[in-house]
Amino acid sequence: MKIIVTVIKKELKDTLRDRRTLFTALLLPAIVFPLMFMGMTKIETQRTEDELNKELKIGLVNAPEIAVTQFGSDQKIKVTRLEDQQTGNKLVKADSLDAMLVFPADIAQKMETAKPGELTIYHKSIDAATYPRLLEKIGLIESAVVQGRMQKMDIKTEVLTPFSVKEVDVVSANEEMGATIGAIFPIIFIIFCFIGCMYPAIDLITGEKEKRTIETLLTVPSSRFEILIGKMTTIALIGFLSAMLTIIGMFIGVTYFSDSTQKIAGSFTEIISIKAILLLFGMLIPLSIFFAGLLTAVVVRTKSFKESQSVVTPMTFIMVVPAILALSPEVKLNWQVVWIPVYNMAVAIEEIINGTISMGHYAAIILTLCTAAFVSAYISFKQFSNENMIVN
Amino acid sequence: MIEVQNISKEYPLTTAQQKKLNTTDPSFSAIDNVSFNCTPGRVFSLLGPNGAGKTTLLRIISTILKPSSGDVKVCGYSVKDQSEMVRGKIGFLTGSTDLYARLTPEEIVKYFADLHKMDPALFRERKEMLFTQLNINEFAGKRYGQLSVGMKQKVSIARSLIHDPDVIIFDEPTSGLDVITADNIIKLIRQCKQDNKTVIFSSHIMSEVDLLCDDLAIIANGKLLFNDTIDQFRSLSENQSLTQTFIDVVGGETVEI
Repeated sequence: MKIIVTVIKKELKDTLRDRRTLFTALLLPAIVFPLMFMGMTKIETQRTEDELNKELKIGLVNAPEIAVTQFGSDQKIKVTRLEDQQTGNKLVKADSLDAMLVFPADIAQKMETAKPGELTIYHKSIDAATYPRLLEKIGLIESAVVQGRMQKMDIKTEVLTPFSVKEVDVVSANEEMGATIGAIFPIIFIIFCFIGCMYPAIDLITGEKEKRTIETLLTVPSSRFEILIGKMTTIALIGFLSAMLTIIGMFIGVTYFSDSTQKIAGSFTEIISIKAILLLFGMLIPLSIFFAGLLTAVVVRTKSFKESQSVVTPMTFIMVVPAILALSPEVKLNWQVVWIPVYNMAVAIEEIINGTISMGHYAAIILTLCTAAFVSAYISFKQFSNENMIVN
Repeated sequence: MIEVQNISKEYPLTTAQQKKLNTTDPSFSAIDNVSFNCTPGRVFSLLGPNGAGKTTLLRIISTILKPSSGDVKVCGYSVKDQSEMVRGKIGFLTGSTDLYARLTPEEIVKYFADLHKMDPALFRERKEMLFTQLNINEFAGKRYGQLSVGMKQKVSIARSLIHDPDVIIFDEPTSGLDVITADNIIKLIRQCKQDNKTVIFSSHIMSEVDLLCDDLAIIANGKLLFNDTIDQFRSLSENQSLTQTFIDVVGGETVEI
């Protein structure tokens, strides 16, 4: 045990002095990723606000007086009356107008006789806010027209509204959090845990082979098992730390700096229970060991840092696949899914955040991840014990 | 004391390797039935051309590789069955001076002392002595990666001797080093001999062997071609240089003494 602790202490000191590992495993997930996430959220929020507040320039063809008045009364809409459709079409295409509304030529007569007329709206769908804003305005015009007709016919408007709809949202903060970030969580967990393990694995295994320091290390009176366990523990620790820093960084970002999630903001501890955090930790530990074992078994076969990188980098994409598959709304945690390592964790995270996970499912996931971790550690030990793998 | 007893080391060959070596043999023999002894207080040199099997042999003695057949006893312990005991008795210095670039010499030497489970008081005493002897104190706090080749070699020496091993194994210790650094190694080997240590080193430089060794083994293609004292080897030379005699031995049949 003393030897294992000695190896861990040395490897941690060595790894934490490596700028590349510090950046990819710790700085990137803790600072850069949350900043990127928050920046993207802010930009998206700002873009939506700008679209909703910008002055809409619309052209009206054959518009009845009521439409001209309604659109004209809105300070955020600039109305231009057009003689013909062709001119308007060109102006919309050239972005001189945001939209053109074409009423039928006999709209006045149709309105008089209470017959429907077709209204055509020309716009560019890439301006996402234009069409809904126009529909909202047209709804108001329609209401005004209908109200006028009903008054003429001496009918009360209430007859058209048998129900007044009142919305009560019963979603819990946990469920809202689960739905909002439950999808992105598995990807973060898995990718950053894997990346966190990646560079230390290459450095501590292939790096030692390439520099031939492994030969020096293997001539000390300790077993290869102790040396490997010391190295693998360091790799798993960095992976664990990397995933945890990503989550902490993201929660701080979401809670204190992001505008778009104000509803779920408040305080991190109010939304995510200590139980949920412990359950996430519980899965992350065997996952880190699984990745550490898997990467050790792979990189021990390579001869140089460069070769290791070229083998390990594609593995990052493979590891994302279970998380992406878990994004499908049809995927639910069940007794088939819990036995598939990594994928089971990706599916379970949303339920953990929601607070709806069954302890039976959770126990099965932990068992599966621990088994995967044990198997990967065993394979890596077998590889590490093979002299042809260790000596270049 | 090192007793090498009928050691052989074979590597299985893949089809690609068979093609490359132009052979149909299923395995490649890196060491073929080699035996010799190294005694305390004497310097034993393993001489041979590149690819002769010197490094493989030293790796077997230091338990990095396992022999396919035969055994090696180091201070009475078998490399096959008591490898941890053997490792406690040896100090192994590879041809490469590379160690951990982000650690300081102080930290590196402490790490290896801890791996050898050294008593802290003994460690401090040994470190003090080695750091003074090798002039490491002036750069003991600098990162290893920032040191010159000569400084690195000194740290490697301190690292391999910190636990005061009975048997010292050097694999081409002066290869690629400048004259001054190589001279440090030569002085160290002499010092080890004076301290009654068992020293074995590999080399392909005849002048170095002539300067240092008491006993000599010459191997080529994994086979032992000569094994006796350096004086016996000199007597073979008659009027020609030792290098020429070495070439004759390596190029000819096994020499019987």
